[in-house]
Parts: sequence; C-alpha cells; structure tokens
Amino acid sequence: MKGVTDERPEGTAPAAAPSGHLGPRIAAVVVLLAGAGLLVRAIQDAVQYGVTVEGPRLAPLIVTGGWVALAVAYTIQCWSAKKAEAETAAEPVPRPSWLVPAGLMAALVAYALVLEYTVVGYVPSTAVFFVIAARLLSTRPVREVILRDTVVALGLSLVIYVAFTRFLDIQLPAGVLPV
Amino acid sequence: MSVLFDGFAAVLTPENLLFAIVGVTVGTLVGVLPGIGPALTIALLLPLTFNLDSPTGALIMFAGIYAGAMYGGSTTSILLNTPGESASVATSIEGYQMARRGRARAALATAAIGSFVAGTISTILLSVLAVPMARFAVMFRAADYFALAVLAMVAVTALVGRSLVRGLLSLTFGLFLGLVGIDSLTGQARFTFGSVNLLDGVNIVVVIVGLFAIGETLHLASRPGDVPSTVAPLEPARGFAWLTREDWRRSWRPWLRGTALGFPFGALPSGGAELPTFLSYTYESKRSPHRHEFGKGAIEGVAGPEAANNASFSGVLVPLLTLGIPTSATAAVMLAAFQIFNVQPGPDLFDEGGTLVWALIASLYVGNVLLLLLNLPLIRLWVKVLQIPRPVLYASILVFATLGVYAVSGSVFQVLLAYAIGVVGFFMRRYDFPIAPVILGLILGPMMEEQFRRALSLSNGDFGVFVSRPLTVVLLSLAVLAVVVPYAPRLLARGRAPAKVALGEDD
Repeated sequence: MKGVTDERPEGTAPAAAPSGHLGPRIAAVVVLLAGAGLLVRAIQDAVQYGVTVEGPRLAPLIVTGGWVALAVAYTIQCWSAKKAEAETAAEPVPRPSWLVPAGLMAALVAYALVLEYTVVGYVPSTAVFFVIAARLLSTRPVREVILRDTVVALGLSLVIYVAFTRFLDIQLPAGVLPV
Repeated sequence: MSVLFDGFAAVLTPENLLFAIVGVTVGTLVGVLPGIGPALTIALLLPLTFNLDSPTGALIMFAGIYAGAMYGGSTTSILLNTPGESASVATSIEGYQMARRGRARAALATAAIGSFVAGTISTILLSVLAVPMARFAVMFRAADYFALAVLAMVAVTALVGRSLVRGLLSLTFGLFLGLVGIDSLTGQARFTFGSVNLLDGVNIVVVIVGLFAIGETLHLASRPGDVPSTVAPLEPARGFAWLTREDWRRSWRPWLRGTALGFPFGALPSGGAELPTFLSYTYESKRSPHRHEFGKGAIEGVAGPEAANNASFSGVLVPLLTLGIPTSATAAVMLAAFQIFNVQPGPDLFDEGGTLVWALIASLYVGNVLLLLLNLPLIRLWVKVLQIPRPVLYASILVFATLGVYAVSGSVFQVLLAYAIGVVGFFMRRYDFPIAPVILGLILGPMMEEQFRRALSLSNGDFGVFVSRPLTVVLLSLAVLAVVVPYAPRLLARGRAPAKVALGEDD
C-alpha cells in the first residue's frame, strides 16, 4: 500500500486526479476488508454463543455490520467520485513522503522493544531514539544539528528518568545506568 | 451556595493551590506546543497525578491543566497559526493576522481576558445549573441514558467534520474499540483475539496518545516540504497596558456574546467548542462595526471565539458531571481521569462526593484567576517554547507519548497498541476522517450498550421501553434530527458555509 503512492512523480496540485484518488480508494478497500473480517468474527461468536437482545453478542454484530455498510458507502464514494470528493478526501499536498513516517514507526517499535526486552534501560534507549527521530524529521545536514540533538536527547531522558523515578514513584527501566 | 464555599475551602489550602499552580503552568507549557490540544495534554499528563493521595488534589490539577492547555492553545494559534484543535481554528484566523501586524500582545491579552471573563461567567452558570440538573438527572432511566448517549454520539459525528460517511466510520471504529475486552455485564470476552492483554479493553489514554500524538507526528513527517519553519512571532515593544481603551471597548461585547454562545452549545451534545467558536466568529465578522477589518486582524474575531471556546468547556461539564456523559474528546479524557480515581460522574456525585465536585468547580474559578495572573507575564517564556525547532519538538512528543502510555499501563503491549492506533490516526488525517468521534465512540459505546441491555432486561426484552417514556422519545428524535437536519434544508448548510471556508483557508 505504501509503495504504490510513493513513487508518483507528478502531483503538484489537487487537479492531479489519479494520485489524489488512489490513496482514498485503497484506504476504502482496506477499511472494508477489515470490517468484513471483524463482522465474520462477530458472526462466528454469535453462532457459537447465541444472540439475545440483553446478551453480549448483539452489539458486535451491530457495530461491525454498520462498519461494513458504511465502508461500502465510502468505497462507492471513493471509486465513483471525480472531483468533489477528491478535493476533500485527498490533501492538496505535493508528493507525500511515506519513507519518513515508516522510518519513524520502525524507530518507535525498536525503541519500545529495546525498552522492554533488553537491559539497556530508559536513559540510553530514549536518548538514542530521540536522536534518530529528530534526524528523520529534520531536513538540515547532520553535522549542523547532531550536537544540539544529542545534548537535548541526553538532557531530556535524564530529567524524565529522575523526575519519574524519584518524584513520581513511577518505575522506569534503570538498565546500565549506575543508580 | 454554602457547598460552593466548602469547595473553595477545600481548594484554598496551600497544598491544593500548589497543585493548581503546577497544573496551570504545566498545562500551558504542553498546550503551547504546536499540534497538542487539551485532550492530548491531559492524556500525556495523567501520570503526574497517579501518586497523589487525594482525588481532590488530582482533580484540581486537571482543572488547572485543562485551563492552561486551552490558553496555551490560543497562544499557539495566535503566534504561530497552528491551532492544536479545531476549537482554536477560529481564533487563529484573526489572531494570527493581528500578530503579523505587530499586535500580538493585544491579541493574546484579549484572548486571556476574554477566557477569564467567559470562564468565570460560565463557571457561575455551571454552579447554578449543576444541582437542578443533577436532580433532573436522577429521573433518568436506563433507556434515557441510552437515548442520550445515542444523541451525543450522533450529534457530534454529524456536526464535526465534512463528510457524514467518514464521520460515522470514525465513530464505528471508536465503537469497535469500545467492544474489545471483557463484557461488563456477563464477563465474556469480545474481540480479544486470544490475547490476555486485550481482556481489560483498550484504554482511552492509549487511543488518545495514538491518534493525537503519534498520528499527528507521522502525518507531519509525511509532509516534509509542507512543514512551516517556525514563524517567528512579532514582539511589539514592552508596556504594561496590553489593551488600549479602544481594544477594551471593542472586546467586551464579543466576550459576552461568545460566552452566551459557548455555554449552551457546550452543555448540549454538539461536539464541544467547534460549533460555538465558528458561530461566534461568523457573528462578529458579519455584525461588527469593524467588519471591514476582518481578515486583517480584527480584535473581535479573537475575543469572541476565545470566549466561546472557554465558556463551552464549563458547558460541557454540565452533562459530564451531572449525567456522566462526555460530549467532547476532552471531556472523554476528563471522564477517564475521574475514573482512575474511582470518581464516577453522575447525579450521585452531588449527593455522596459533594465536596469533591464542588472542589472541582471551585478550582475552575481559581484556575481562571491563576491563568490571568501567571500567563500574560510569562508570555516571553511561552514564546521561547514556540521557537523550539520542529524535529526536536516532535521527537520529544514521541518520547512523551511513549512515556505516557508506558507509565499508565506499565506494559509494552499497550505502547505498541498506541503505535498501531497512531498509524490508523495517520491515515485518518491523511484521508480527512475526523478524530473526535473515535474517542466518543470508545467512551460512550460501552455506556450506551450497557444501558441498552439494562433497559431491555428490565422490560423483559420489550423494545417498547424505548418509546414508552416521553424523555426517551424526545432524545431519540433529537438524535434523528441531528443527522437529518444538516442535509434536508439548505438553511443550516448556509450557516455552516463560512466555517468550511475558514477551515480550508487555515490549512
């Protein structure tokens, strides 16, 4: 899904119709499929446990059924819409980058996993994550900002660590820090 | 009235005053950050209150945080043209123009004083109305609560955002998230996909942090060329008089009109502050004797919407405190915060925990005063915060978002869940799905289902229970109207048109 819209070279104005349509159309199908999957699940549960109006199996049917119905409406809108819908649905932003959000997501997941499953601890992992995230979000050359980012990263993670563990009594992984 | 004085007595202890001051200051600090609105501010700052002994202190801090976050949001809108939430959009239109023309201080002052005036008047209204409303709320049966929840959800979804289908899809997503976990009445698991971690359901903090903090940052990261480099706000020369006599003369009527719009719209389930702020903006821009100045920085265009924004919050507190029904994303987080301290809003709150609720109301007055005292003098500090480079700011937001969820849940699963919801939030922003209905669906859905089933089990499965009481019928009819009205006549569409234009221009 991400690669498809990424490689479009054109798309300067909202008038560039195809690229403006593709994203919402794919999104609509994904929403529809997700809803359908959940509806199947709700039906399975309903069959297994039985449905009564006071029971817990009715609401999932209504919600996922509504989801599917709305997703069908949305899909039809997206696939049949020419201009009106595309204008509001797609933002008039040239060439969205999917790489930076994907990179940030990867960094976030790695950060959470390191925090939980390694002995690195809160301060070093947060500092490293901060520098990487700031780098991904920045457009300036590394050497101009790396010192600033590193100082902020270390300062912030230390302050958070001390404040939370000492003053708020909320434990954070100490890790390699000599506490 | 004496209960209110008891409330003040509870608040005006040195310790609680300190909580209020910390809340206001931290709330402003976080609220000033571009892209962070009051709902996310409260969600991120929840851990701060975890280890407070008394719920009173915590609630006072929340009131402070909320007031500060709101004021911080208007500062950002005025100086940077980056409203943190839809309710600040109207303020940013004229406010930013004023700042560009070297009248930033006047804009900030009319926003702050207007917030103070509106906040004080509407808190007085809240104090007066809360008890009668709570008495009225005692008569509510399960079927009425169900109808009220339907009305709140439907109205908010229909009124917020530009497409009903997308709004309802957002709502459905929220309702689905609300279903996950153990059913409160029977203990059966739903949509847990065999995971123990999902048995407790999806926490509101996880959803808010995911949708607002992670989603917003990812969205911003996807538009590298689009990121406005920090627009340096103009700083006019120092002087103690922030508003000229002329400014005062032009501001006071919009403040009062904004309050008059904000409070009732907040109290009705209409999505909180978005509608009244735009109504106020539209009214001022059409009726003001200075309407030719609109678009070039008219002070009325800041004074009115800011007052409406603040007044609507006290209005939102009326259904939240007396019925336990949140009608805006921020109110939903407040409700979650209350529940952490085992405070269940509703009519009983005024009977049993009377002191607590009056302390909260008293702290709203105190918070208003503190804001005025603290924030205008500290404006240089807030400007400094605004000048933080974007990469540093958003990297920090990601760190705090992770920390917030980790501290609340202590579980890396919840952190990853917040990230996943953040990805959903990113695509929702990208394809223009409104966020607020998700939050309301998540909070109101379980409430609605419980009351629905309770009503039906009391009536032995007879659906007549939903049409047998006039109150239920009225509420359900209003819900139907909320969906139909924006479409049927052109009347309302015409009323909403300026808001749409304004929203479009703002981006």
